[in-house]
Amino acid sequence: MATVSYIDATCHYSGHPVPAVDGLDLEIGDGEFMVLVGPSGSGKSTALRMLAGLEPVASGEIRLGGEDVSSLSPKHRDIAMVFQNYGLYPHMTVADNMGFALKLRRAPKTERAARVQEAARLLDLEQYLARKPKALSGGQRQRVAMGRAIVREPSVFLMDEPLSNLDAKLRVETRANIVALQSRLGTTTLYVTHDQVEAMTMGHRVAVLKDGVLQQVDTPRKLYEQPCNTFVAGFIGSPAMSLTTAPLVEGGAHIGTTFVPLRPEVTSACRSGFVSTVVLGIRPEAFAVAEGADLSIQVSLVEVLGADSYVHGDIAGHEGKFVVRCDGRLNPQIGESLALSVKPQEVHAFHPETGQRLG
Amino acid sequence: MTTQTATPLGKKPRLMNKRSGISALERERARTGRVMILPAAILVIAVLGVPIGQAIYRSMEQWDGLTATWIGPSAYTHAFSDPTFWRVMENNALLLLAVPFAVLIPLGIAFLLNEKVPGWKVFRSIYFMPTAISWVVIGMVALRFFAQAGPLDSIFSAFGLGFIHPNLLSNQHQALLAVGITFVWSMVGTNTIIFLTGIATLDPSLSEAAQVDGTNAWQRLIHITMPQLRRFILFSSTLTMISAFTALFSLIFVMTGGGPGYGTTTLEFFIYQNAFGQGQFGYGALLGIVLFVIMAVVGLIQLRLLRVDD
Amino acid sequence: MSTSVETSPLQSPAITPDAQRAAFARRRRLRTGLLLALMTLIAVVMLYPFFFMIETSFKSENQFVNGTGGFSLSSWSQLAQALPWAREMLNSTIVCACAIAIILAVSTTAGFAFAKLRFRMSNYILTGIVAAMLVPIQSIVIPLYVNAAHLHLVNSYFGAVIIYAAIGTPFATFLMTAYYRSLPDEVIEAAIIDGAHYFGVFRRVALPMSIPALVTIAVLQFIQIWDDLLVGLLFLQNPSERTITVGLGALAAGRTTNIPVLMAGSLVSAIPAVVVFLIFQRFLTTGLTAGVSR
Repeated sequence: MATVSYIDATCHYSGHPVPAVDGLDLEIGDGEFMVLVGPSGSGKSTALRMLAGLEPVASGEIRLGGEDVSSLSPKHRDIAMVFQNYGLYPHMTVADNMGFALKLRRAPKTERAARVQEAARLLDLEQYLARKPKALSGGQRQRVAMGRAIVREPSVFLMDEPLSNLDAKLRVETRANIVALQSRLGTTTLYVTHDQVEAMTMGHRVAVLKDGVLQQVDTPRKLYEQPCNTFVAGFIGSPAMSLTTAPLVEGGAHIGTTFVPLRPEVTSACRSGFVSTVVLGIRPEAFAVAEGADLSIQVSLVEVLGADSYVHGDIAGHEGKFVVRCDGRLNPQIGESLALSVKPQEVHAFHPETGQRLG
Repeated sequence: MTTQTATPLGKKPRLMNKRSGISALERERARTGRVMILPAAILVIAVLGVPIGQAIYRSMEQWDGLTATWIGPSAYTHAFSDPTFWRVMENNALLLLAVPFAVLIPLGIAFLLNEKVPGWKVFRSIYFMPTAISWVVIGMVALRFFAQAGPLDSIFSAFGLGFIHPNLLSNQHQALLAVGITFVWSMVGTNTIIFLTGIATLDPSLSEAAQVDGTNAWQRLIHITMPQLRRFILFSSTLTMISAFTALFSLIFVMTGGGPGYGTTTLEFFIYQNAFGQGQFGYGALLGIVLFVIMAVVGLIQLRLLRVDD
Repeated sequence: MSTSVETSPLQSPAITPDAQRAAFARRRRLRTGLLLALMTLIAVVMLYPFFFMIETSFKSENQFVNGTGGFSLSSWSQLAQALPWAREMLNSTIVCACAIAIILAVSTTAGFAFAKLRFRMSNYILTGIVAAMLVPIQSIVIPLYVNAAHLHLVNSYFGAVIIYAAIGTPFATFLMTAYYRSLPDEVIEAAIIDGAHYFGVFRRVALPMSIPALVTIAVLQFIQIWDDLLVGLLFLQNPSERTITVGLGALAAGRTTNIPVLMAGSLVSAIPAVVVFLIFQRFLTTGLTAGVSR
């Protein structure tokens, strides 16, 4: 078991003007499940591979259990990794795949067999031990990749989009299995994904990256409730938060002609920042359908999900699209107007230029 | 809670350390890589690279393998003014006339096989099989086939053309035709396989689209299929050309010995004759360099044409 | 393809659909028959040397010269005397096996390094090695021969083996590099994470994964070396070391020999390469077309 610290860690690919990972500072606690999330090209995989030792740390350092490992080879780092396409050895049986690391370490044969057996039991792979990867289904291969990591008993698990090759249903199932397994083993885990749902449902904490720069690291709930900037606000949550620029007025802002009150912390932050407009962020559930309310949207699309439906539309006299969650039984027609109220406590505000959270 | 934000403005001073951005892993990789290419590099340099250098140097010497006198670059001008040299080059040029046949006949055969008539795979194996037999064996059979009163004669008489006695091998100017025919025959297997692979890569939707557009079979062949096969035709042409220049030694050695006269002496055979028949190692080396330059030009042209393709 | 049959859309109304279908089927059968006939004709042409060798080898010299029919085993009984084929085939086997072993050893290591362990200048070195494919053996055979004579390598297996190995290495390296490039990086990284050295990754992971490519190279080289005359002719001149193809070439160059015996010898010499060909045909196809596939 171990803690992991990235201290101002930077990775530069030769021939690229901007670093792939730029001055990353991140602490991962012992036994913590940390998820790195971000769009493609955000540097999340590179950050993981830096810890693995597969990418160089150009400056700064990475510590594992308090020790600087930045210049060590992967084999001296006591980490195990699960790859996106699993990276299984096609010419070896499942048992040999899982036991390969121990074999290289010259672990005694009996110990090797016992640990492979134990991992296979944990992952329900016992009857497949003699098969080659080719003869397995996608889900089974994924479990073999997990097993190969478990057998090692490393101090850190690294997982690079391990679920992206599974179909949707299996992915949800495996997601839960990985979380259960991790809490049972208590091994510090760094998990990379581009899927914010995966990040939110799996991580103890989630780190959001964009263009090689860490945006915010927090618990899933805090990320959802207090996104630190417009990028995180738009990235976390599905459907995404509606973001719109609105002129400030005393005690609130105007969406179209409607006054939306803002919390006092927000208004005071706006005053001290000398801004005249503000970016408002409103999640679909922060709207409520209310007969006779003065905010109204022109419906352009309705997504019916069953219990809920999401209504997309425009607000007259205002730039930007809005998404509203409403009761699934309420079935507005396209082109119809829908009267809404906004819950003032749930309106986020961001600086119009820097995109940073206000208040 | 550690809510970190990174603004584009306030950049922290970077903790620069002694590492050059090259990890232990990258160092190991480069080191292992250098060691692993070494045996191949040494073998190729020692056995193929160094002798090319030696050949260039020796080509400008009068050399019998033991004693050498320096001539200099004039060795080349001297060689190029020798009519025998040009006689030999003429033979090579004439053999190049066989290349279109050695490419187009297999192309037709590949289309024929691609009709996938039941049993076509057996025919494919049969056509490909002669690739396994040596030029020595082919040459020996061809020698009998084209000989006076040989099977070719019998074929002519069977068609009522018995008055023609195509005794090709005894005529200085016709012997090369026999070599050329044998050469075309022996390229059938390889080139057919190349084209079959090529045809397998064709995108059927293009041809179907053209069919819907109302083209006929011939138009589709010329405008749709052939352009898609371009790189395969190019590859097989190059291979055939290189074979015409460098693979016929054994065939000529067995079939004609370069004769009658210089009738079937190609450049590669001429090298052997000069060096190992007459002990003119220097002149042989010079001819070798000429051959090498021709091959390099052929190779570069192919490379250039493939580039244009991509 | 080019010869697809087109049915006319305008049929007279008197013809029933059934009759139409029958006519169509007849035409297809006819077409298949014609194609088969054409393919058989080509097959006869391609197999002609085999017919000729077999037929001639079972004639006596007199029967052959006089063009009379007949069956005789005399050429087969004289074969061993004219051509020490057992010894020479053993020589061929030794030379082939050693040269192929060297080619495989150097081309797999180099191919893996060029594909996955790239370092500064590695691409230039690869280009250099691949370019060596264009060096015709005839261009370098004279210096090679003289060098080998200095090193006392003429008339030893070793000299011929090294030369065959060097001639085969550029193409084999090219093929292996292409093959290893297609291996997913993840498998290699997984082995690195599992604690292997790069050479260990090559030996335990990449090499076992590349067996089809190894077979391709081995088959291609076997046929090439088995069938080669020039190198053997110069570097294995002693009857005790020469390969079957050289032995046959020497016999043929004698000119006055007994042709049925020659044909029997040719047949014997061709059998191993043809058998290898028939077994491993699939691998040969991959090797031949490696140059064009992207």
